[in-house]
Amino acid sequence: MQELVNIFIKSIFIDNMVFAYFLGMCSYLGVSKTVSTSVGMGFAVIFVLGITVPINYLLENYVLREGALSLLLGDSFKDIDLSFLSFIMFIAVIASMVQLVEMIIEKFSPALYGSLGIFLPLIAVNCAILGASLFMQEKDFSNITEATVYGLGSGVGWFLAIVAIAAIREKIRYSNIPPALRGLGITYIITGLMGIAFMSFMGIKL
Amino acid sequence: MKVFRNLLDGIKPNFEKGGKLEKLYPAYDAFETFLFVPDHTTNEGTHIKDAIDLKRTMFMVIVALIPCVLFGMWNVGYQYSIASGESMTFIQQFNFGFWKFLPLIIVSYAVGLAVEFAFAVLRGHQVNEGYLVTGMLIPLTMPIDVPLWMLAISVIFAVVIGKEVFGGTGMNILNPALTARAFLFFAYPSWMSGDKVWVQNASVDGYSGATILGDLASSMNWQSLSGQWSISDMFFGTIPGSVGETSMVAIILGALILLFTGVGSWRIILSTFLGGYFMAYLFNLWGYNELMSTPAHIHLMIGSFAFGAVFMATDPVTASQTNKGKYIYGFLIGVFAILIRTFNPAYPEGMMLAILLMNIFAPLIDHYIVQANVNKRLKRATV
Repeated sequence: MQELVNIFIKSIFIDNMVFAYFLGMCSYLGVSKTVSTSVGMGFAVIFVLGITVPINYLLENYVLREGALSLLLGDSFKDIDLSFLSFIMFIAVIASMVQLVEMIIEKFSPALYGSLGIFLPLIAVNCAILGASLFMQEKDFSNITEATVYGLGSGVGWFLAIVAIAAIREKIRYSNIPPALRGLGITYIITGLMGIAFMSFMGIKL
Repeated sequence: MKVFRNLLDGIKPNFEKGGKLEKLYPAYDAFETFLFVPDHTTNEGTHIKDAIDLKRTMFMVIVALIPCVLFGMWNVGYQYSIASGESMTFIQQFNFGFWKFLPLIIVSYAVGLAVEFAFAVLRGHQVNEGYLVTGMLIPLTMPIDVPLWMLAISVIFAVVIGKEVFGGTGMNILNPALTARAFLFFAYPSWMSGDKVWVQNASVDGYSGATILGDLASSMNWQSLSGQWSISDMFFGTIPGSVGETSMVAIILGALILLFTGVGSWRIILSTFLGGYFMAYLFNLWGYNELMSTPAHIHLMIGSFAFGAVFMATDPVTASQTNKGKYIYGFLIGVFAILIRTFNPAYPEGMMLAILLMNIFAPLIDHYIVQANVNKRLKRATV
């Protein structure tokens, strides 16, 4: 249990997808104009991460890793190493999950679907999502619960980041920012400053 | 005063539209309004009429900082006399600190105001007095030994990236003074932490000038430390640390001035202390490492907790704007400050980063407080 809490807290604050790795920046910058849409986007990312990481964990451990196939198909497969396929397999899982999320959101919240626009299908190529799966591969979790908690935690961290920057962007909407920096420029600067503040968690040992 | 008025009136035509120095009008305007109450009024829209304006507000904060500045100067000399073993009179100690601290203030103001004026002239906006406070806070949060060029760089970073790119005073999202300190802290860590920087010339004779927090973080026992520093040392502030942060007495004096004039928000100060006490008390019960088993009331007195709560967290621009939000904002600052202190071995002091972190989330807190209010009223209207 303590291990799970550790992983969760770590993936939210210490290994924050946006401020520690600067992953998932495209939708982070694209959909963060208002708080309400960014909340929708954030939940979609949490959902996708919470599903794809455990599925990819299973794929990794029962199909892709060296010798993993032997667990299912017997000893004759124990020399086979399919890990070169991991990128394409992970992406395939992610893309299909995003399709699912898209259909769900379109059905239940057409307004949100409209405001997320192109960025919803683009979750499929959101590097935070693929990044979480690849970090999962690196971190060698001992069971699927840990992988799920890691996925959810990364999602929550990303959610916090996008909601916070959306609130800041709403606040500075009428600020007298130098013309050259309006829009994306100032958002990059804010993200950097937020990164400094999030440095407070770097180095925490749990 | 009449001399100034005449002088200003004499050179005014040069700066007005069509004059030779038309472009420098913001600079002229800054000096004129600094010395005299401006007499122009707005002629459109509705405005609240009040005797206090930005300049007067900022000036009150400077007044509130004076006890900290004076005490800090004396403490610099006092710590030096302990470290070097030189016997110095009270006046000598103050003098020593005064001449050490003065360059920091001069550099901070000169560099910061130069950047500020440059931006005002370039962009044609007014020079705002926000920097008067920031320029005083920055040296107060620095170790006394910080090289002046580092101070200058951090001031430039704070004013340009922390404030001017957002459009100047009142628009920034992070407290500029803390931005400067965080910049130095991450860019030149060896000058901003450890046991050599807090006391002038401490490195010369191997005297350990570590702050109390630094000692605790290196797992020194709380009991053995309380032999070295008594509680009254911490309360009066005769301990090593950043220039302005050590004395509770000076900070409380400053806090009273801020609260009495209504410039600082009592909600934020109160809830920050509550949050810090709550978290430290929880950790006392847990008692996992030395910092955790340090008594909660001591936690509030050491390091920059009190200084940050009174002068940094209450910054009206970067704090939560709503009253309910202020409670949440302050409470979380206290909680995070103690959390970072105890859990993060890399940073013995968590106050700076806790305030920066909550500065980031303040707009979000406000958003949801306002939204909740809107929803409540909508419900009342439609039933």
